[in-house]
Amino acid sequence: MDQKLYDYIGNSYKRKNLYLQEVADLENEIARTKDRKTKAALKAKLVALLKSKDLHEYVKSLREYEEREKAFLEQLKQDSEAYKASFTSDNKKVNTLKMRYFKATKEEEFYKPYVDLCYDAEVKYKSAFVIFEQMKEVIDHLESNLKDLAEAKVSAKNKNPQKESEGKKAYKVKKAEVDKQYKISLKKLKEKKKEGLISNKALENEKRQLIAKKKKDISILANSLIPSKYYKEVVENKTYETTKAVKQKLAVIDDNESNVLRTVPSEVESNLAGRALATCWLPGLGQYLNGQTTKMWLFLMGSFFIYCIAIPYAFGFGNYQAEGLKSLVTLANGTSKLNKSMIFMVEGIIALFMILLGIGIFIISYIDVKHVAKNIVKGIRPKNWFETKRGIFEEGFPYLVSLPAFIVILFIVIVPLSTTILLSFTNMDPKHQSKFQWAGLKNYLELATAEGMIGTVFWAILGWTLIWTFVATTFAIVIGFGLALLTNNERIKGKGFFRGVFILPWAIPGFISIMFFGIMFARQGILTQILNNITGLTLDIKNNPIQTRIVLILMQGWLGSAYVFLLSTGVLQAIPADLYEAAQIDGATSWQRLAKITLPIVLFQTAPLLIGQYTFNFNNFSIIYLFNGGGPFNPTIYGNLAGSTDILISYIYKLTMDNQQQAVGAAVTMIISLALMIFTFIGFKNSKAFKED
Amino acid sequence: MTLKKKKSNLYLGDRQPLNTAGKIGLGFSYAALICWTIAIIWPICQMIVSSFNGMQQEYIVMNGGFSFSIEHFEYLFTDTLYPKWMLNTIFISVSTAFITLLFVSFTGFAYSRYRFKGRKASLMTIMLIQTIPSFAGLTAYFTMYSIISDVMPFFSRQMMLILIYSAGGIAGNTFILKGYLDSISMELDDAAKIDGCSNLKVYRLIILPIARPMLAIIALWSFLGPFMDYLLPKVILTNPEAYTLAAGLFTFINDKENMNEPAFAAGGLLIAVPTVILFTVLQKQLISGLASGAVK
Repeated sequence: MDQKLYDYIGNSYKRKNLYLQEVADLENEIARTKDRKTKAALKAKLVALLKSKDLHEYVKSLREYEEREKAFLEQLKQDSEAYKASFTSDNKKVNTLKMRYFKATKEEEFYKPYVDLCYDAEVKYKSAFVIFEQMKEVIDHLESNLKDLAEAKVSAKNKNPQKESEGKKAYKVKKAEVDKQYKISLKKLKEKKKEGLISNKALENEKRQLIAKKKKDISILANSLIPSKYYKEVVENKTYETTKAVKQKLAVIDDNESNVLRTVPSEVESNLAGRALATCWLPGLGQYLNGQTTKMWLFLMGSFFIYCIAIPYAFGFGNYQAEGLKSLVTLANGTSKLNKSMIFMVEGIIALFMILLGIGIFIISYIDVKHVAKNIVKGIRPKNWFETKRGIFEEGFPYLVSLPAFIVILFIVIVPLSTTILLSFTNMDPKHQSKFQWAGLKNYLELATAEGMIGTVFWAILGWTLIWTFVATTFAIVIGFGLALLTNNERIKGKGFFRGVFILPWAIPGFISIMFFGIMFARQGILTQILNNITGLTLDIKNNPIQTRIVLILMQGWLGSAYVFLLSTGVLQAIPADLYEAAQIDGATSWQRLAKITLPIVLFQTAPLLIGQYTFNFNNFSIIYLFNGGGPFNPTIYGNLAGSTDILISYIYKLTMDNQQQAVGAAVTMIISLALMIFTFIGFKNSKAFKED
Repeated sequence: MTLKKKKSNLYLGDRQPLNTAGKIGLGFSYAALICWTIAIIWPICQMIVSSFNGMQQEYIVMNGGFSFSIEHFEYLFTDTLYPKWMLNTIFISVSTAFITLLFVSFTGFAYSRYRFKGRKASLMTIMLIQTIPSFAGLTAYFTMYSIISDVMPFFSRQMMLILIYSAGGIAGNTFILKGYLDSISMELDDAAKIDGCSNLKVYRLIILPIARPMLAIIALWSFLGPFMDYLLPKVILTNPEAYTLAAGLFTFINDKENMNEPAFAAGGLLIAVPTVILFTVLQKQLISGLASGAVK
């Protein structure tokens, strides 16, 4: 036990509990002495002291105080009941404040003599004193303003037409005066302008100020002279005083009270070490023992979630069809014919996340109780609700505002994603649609070893996907960058026109361009006809793998270059011209200027976005699917699952949507997701946005 | 006379006169630019021409002749579900933009302004989640939809689509908004806090007005997403009545029954015109939105 008590910033306080002080002193001495004999003697002394605790002078007086306090509290309860009956006003707010004040006066009186006896009495006395000192003013303020408010409301209702019209007359007269004044000032200003004393802009400014002043004056006049407007404003004012102003004043009192809590330490006998562990099974219980009632309710809500929602759900109660966590194991096998494995899997995952959430609540509660209990022993009092609330709104603010987003992401992104992960370890295929089983790594092995109908196709498609990603993206980047360079040449005229045209492919929704190209490259399509006329061949682009691939890459060049063009034009325009001038003076050729100045700057600044272009094309489903449906089909290499221009993403689509090969589709999805994640992780780890934090 | 002649021989540009190689180079530059201009404009012109060509039927063919008519547009609005698709798309887009904005304005604020436990880890997580294509969870979406719609019958497939779009957009847009807010000095917030603003007030009075340009861009991108996307509507929406424009238009060139390529061109043109105007006017802002998330 520590000889002293500490508050949250480390100020030390003397113990008031003399018995505990003696114990602490002895313990301390035992720890310090090295001589065995003295140590034994001290230990015996300590044991004797602990045994004769009830006989200790201080303990006796403390017990007496506790008994008296009990009686006082009983009395206070009765007194406040009686006081309640004496209330005249039926305004709830006034009554609660009055009750607080009443209790505080009594408490102040009772605890005052015991301030030196123990810290608990001191804290109660000081808190009561704060209220005793400051609450009266708040109540008076509230009551007088409520009175005024009621009066103003009555006056506002009882309109006096005569006074109203009189007021309006007076208002008109005064308003005319104000108008006159305004006109005179305006005239003066204009004269000044004519004389050339002030500029045009100054005139405008002064005029604006004059108008503002006029408006303000008129509104003041209206509010003071016309009775109906006057009372309306009074009502507004008084309403503010009775609500927000009172709230602010109460916040000041709360603040002072919490100040008392922070400067008077706590002193307890036991070391409360086991409290956190003993109460961890029911979040809220520990908070109650720590004396934080409102926090207790919050955590009890957590307990309710755990014991009444999460755990029952995990055991299958309240499920849509499944059996909670168990359904993750059984996957509906052995249950009714109508049950679907998919539903069991999704519900199992939801149950799993609920349990995880519950465990999270347990851990938070445990840490909270442990932390607070440890502090109580040290001398730091637990926060009252006012302070906890403030803490939640300050430190907890980021959690609070991002919580809804996290919940949405959890259910719409994470749960489906987990389903896909789990699905990739099952055997969901056309034969096992409604019921499927766990299949371990089968799908991955099949893909890795290029076995079976799906595995062989996978590698061929992966190869084309990589070629496609690399060639198509690079092609678009080269075109876009080249165009940007050309248009940025200072001798080129009609830049605006060229730039306007070059961003068109970016501005037209991609699917429209792709579909229209698809039309034009059909066998009878316009572009095919033109190419036929030029080359003299009879092309059948959509049925020839190589031709389709070439056309796809050309199309991506058409579509993607606009974006790169836009990006690099922006960067090019921002490169200061003196860089080039300096280079020119030093004798750099135009090629050197391009390679040593332009390229590095543009590449450095657009690199993340260009990398983004590669990942975009890796997943560019629309162009592949909408142009030719991934075709042409080539059963000898690709079987009947995919076509020869299918990339992984459209392959997944075909597996999942057209061929009911969901399990393999999920496995391929996992593989490309992982690859993309690693790719982006490397890219973003080095990005500025992440490093700066 | 002599004076004038002399003047025309004078070289008055502030750049060096071009030598022959330079002139040839400039010529090539023009040639390349003009070629690319043609490459871009020609297909677009084809689309415009075929959509207004009354001589085209079902398939767009060459040498079919030309007669101006708006019959394809009439066909679109009277005989097809095109107006319905338009309304669907606008409904989905507006809802997506609204929901995304609601979430992202808070998360972007929290991640930019507060240092809290788990911040960096969760930032990395959302970054990685963002890279996973949204249809990774396709199979689960169906199951989830069937569960939700059974429990809550009013929950339509379009709502599911809106949820998927907006939840998918939270991660990336949070990053973009965070990048934008990071570039704004914290002193503004601190000053407001010293004057007694609560966190929520700082958000409402300081952050929202400042972030308005970026929020507008995020809203715009989220709004445009459903216009551009083909895959998810095609998969999630099963009823042609509920289709979005992209999914609906594809039926004109894919379905044997509805085959009508000029109508597709007309419908596509109607979508392309507003987006082209939008993108051309706002190109700088749209690009800055993308860049601030990545470069900064």
